[in-house]
Amino acid sequence: MIHTIAFYIFAAMVIASGALVITARNPVHSVLWLILAFFNAAGLMVLVGAEFIAMLLVIVYVGAVAVLFLFVVMMLEIDFAEMRAGFVKYFPLGVLLALILVSEMILGIGAYSAGSMHLGTADGVGTPLMGESNIRSIGALLYGRYLFLFESAGLVLLVAMVGAIVLTHRERGTVRGHQNINKQVRRRPGDATVNTRPEVGKGIEL
Amino acid sequence: MELKQSLGLIAPEILLSIASLVLLLVSAWAGDKASRAISVVACFVLGACFFIVAPTVCAGVAGPDVVAFNGLFTADAFSGFAKLLIFAATGAALVMAPKFFERTNSMMPEFPVLILLAALGMCLMVSATDLMTLYIGLELNSLASYVLAAFLRNDERSAEAGIKYFVLGALASGILLFGMSLTYGFTGSTDFGTVRAALTGDMSTGAMFAVVFVLAGLAFKISAVPFHMWTPDVYEGSPTPVTAFFATAPKVAAVSLLMRVSLDAFGMQADAWRQIVLFVALASIVVGALGAIGQSNIKRLMAFSSINNVGFILIGLVTGTVQGASAMLVYLAIYIAMTAGSFLAIIMMKDEAGAPVEKISDIAGLSRTKPALALCLAMMMFSLAGIPPLFGFWGKFVVFQAAVEANLVALAAIGIAASVIGAFYYLKIVKVMYFDEPADVVKGQSDWAHWALLIISTAFISPLGYLLTTWLGGIADKAAATLFLVAA
Amino acid sequence: MQPSTRAPKWAKGLNYDRGEAVIGIEHYVVVSSILFVLGVLGIFLNRKNVIVILMAIELILLSVNLNFVAFSAFLNDLVGQVFAMFILTVAAGEAAIGLAILVIFFRDRGTIAVDDVNRMKG
Repeated sequence: MIHTIAFYIFAAMVIASGALVITARNPVHSVLWLILAFFNAAGLMVLVGAEFIAMLLVIVYVGAVAVLFLFVVMMLEIDFAEMRAGFVKYFPLGVLLALILVSEMILGIGAYSAGSMHLGTADGVGTPLMGESNIRSIGALLYGRYLFLFESAGLVLLVAMVGAIVLTHRERGTVRGHQNINKQVRRRPGDATVNTRPEVGKGIEL
Repeated sequence: MELKQSLGLIAPEILLSIASLVLLLVSAWAGDKASRAISVVACFVLGACFFIVAPTVCAGVAGPDVVAFNGLFTADAFSGFAKLLIFAATGAALVMAPKFFERTNSMMPEFPVLILLAALGMCLMVSATDLMTLYIGLELNSLASYVLAAFLRNDERSAEAGIKYFVLGALASGILLFGMSLTYGFTGSTDFGTVRAALTGDMSTGAMFAVVFVLAGLAFKISAVPFHMWTPDVYEGSPTPVTAFFATAPKVAAVSLLMRVSLDAFGMQADAWRQIVLFVALASIVVGALGAIGQSNIKRLMAFSSINNVGFILIGLVTGTVQGASAMLVYLAIYIAMTAGSFLAIIMMKDEAGAPVEKISDIAGLSRTKPALALCLAMMMFSLAGIPPLFGFWGKFVVFQAAVEANLVALAAIGIAASVIGAFYYLKIVKVMYFDEPADVVKGQSDWAHWALLIISTAFISPLGYLLTTWLGGIADKAAATLFLVAA
Repeated sequence: MQPSTRAPKWAKGLNYDRGEAVIGIEHYVVVSSILFVLGVLGIFLNRKNVIVILMAIELILLSVNLNFVAFSAFLNDLVGQVFAMFILTVAAGEAAIGLAILVIFFRDRGTIAVDDVNRMKG
């Protein structure tokens, strides 16, 4: 019973906050709704017994991705009112199309009533280890059978890192950028000053 | 399968990843000065990969012996053939790049590194026998491509191309992933072989949804109609060497991936997807041909040309036969030669200050100021139009032949009619170059490397190409046959 | 037993025996379908506001993850959860690249509206 109630609460919250993400006036609010959506989705995942993915969702999404979004939203000074032009105009049509699409999908996939979806049979590759926790079973699979993909995913992250740096890094012409401390320290008075005795009326030679 | 054996099978991928890591370190150390040297080394790495893969293609290897990592990856002749094309096209893009970026001082040593990583992603795509490998390869390639599209970061057009490419690419990935999740749910596996076995007989509408979503996501990636919206903008806005790259290598990878997914994983449901592919093929041919008319920017025109050509390639997929698949591979080989050659010619058209010339009106009378360049570009255009003495005709011919033999005479007839319409805009370029008053804009000199590559690709698509038909057809047949081995 | 009624571990102990209403796979698929459509709708409604578009893409990926995890639990097969992990990884990278492109776009333009000053038609 509690389980059912929990499911409906999480499901209603995830859908409501998802709707608010795309309709909020202020993108900062959108990010906050997004975070709420992630938390509730994580709750749903805990309900089916996928604790590890649920934790990852909170750590990776809320901890990294959502914060990155917040940074960018606040860093760029954007006039958000201007962005909303056209939103109201397309809203009714968009919602209508979305309703049609979602009902078609639910009917098509066959999720309209309990027991109407006939799932396949797993080929036994990823059967959880007997008596082991979720995280141990995932680890065994990830570092065993899927090691190759694990390494490839590392390359995807490398591309993301290199790409983000290549695009946004700028050489800044600040004071610190030009300061060569080594050169400064090595410089002796003799290099920089000369003692001359200019004669009267002859001017000076520089 | 032993780990050592698996590692042996992914030798080209290992070489690519180690090379890109080492070159990344070098670029961090040596800075912008090293860009050219790193590009040259990257070309040699691609060449080495080419020679590692080439023997497996000639031998036509297939079967369980070349499957690595418990069925995540296969190094069969089909993937080998696609990889050879990918390495060649990527190498061409690398040759084009330094000269282009150096003019505006925007060449960075990360460019060749990202190109190599994109090539690695494409290798994973064409070798994938599991939805997970497919996804990671696709994203490795896509993420690198988004960065490449926006690489001229001070140019507004480039940044806009990057954003558009990113948004639509991410949406496509989302649709593809939703399809893959349904596939997983209804078949219980992500392995192509198991999916294929699970999808025999009558398919539930849910599984049908899975197939449609996966194919729609992939259609986005090959920019087939109705998912072609981004192509002209991205092609116009991206730096020209990157556009040349987008038009060649990722096309090969995505088309090969589409072939493997539809013929292997969804192979038992060919009747279900055949109609979708048929519609997409015809729509791409028509939209590509009609959209090109009235374009004034040659890069935009090439975008419509690539949409048009993807349509012709997909005709081979509609047949669903070995012959059709082989025809697609032959067409792809000729297509990348034509497209890379055209972009080389475009990149070599520069005004006095060395700035790129992209307007079609600016190349008027090119035959009088730059006869050699005009001749090469004219041959490329005739070849893209499929006019008989040139090799481009052969690609269309084999595809239509496969369609006729699969009893799709009507489709072949529509295709031939549409290619006549399509010929119009290619011929317009030739007319502008040869018969209009010289605009006298194109003045700049070009690199010897550009000339060399342009001459090689022109020779390939010239009637001399027909000397290769038996050989090319032979290895394409072998490669295509490995794709159907699972069916037996 | 039909594969579709095979519920995860908790269900066998709890709900089936007591004859309570079971949350089936269909419920999860409905939730993720709605989220998916919300994401797509978000892209089309906020055509000018790229940053909300990026968030809508995250919603789509979240719906896919939910799908994978739910299927994984009901199939009693962890491959779906491994797939979900890879999607999380890639999504993080995708967000980083998307925001980087957005930042350079903003630096060039002073706005993030894509539709508005469209230098390229289409």
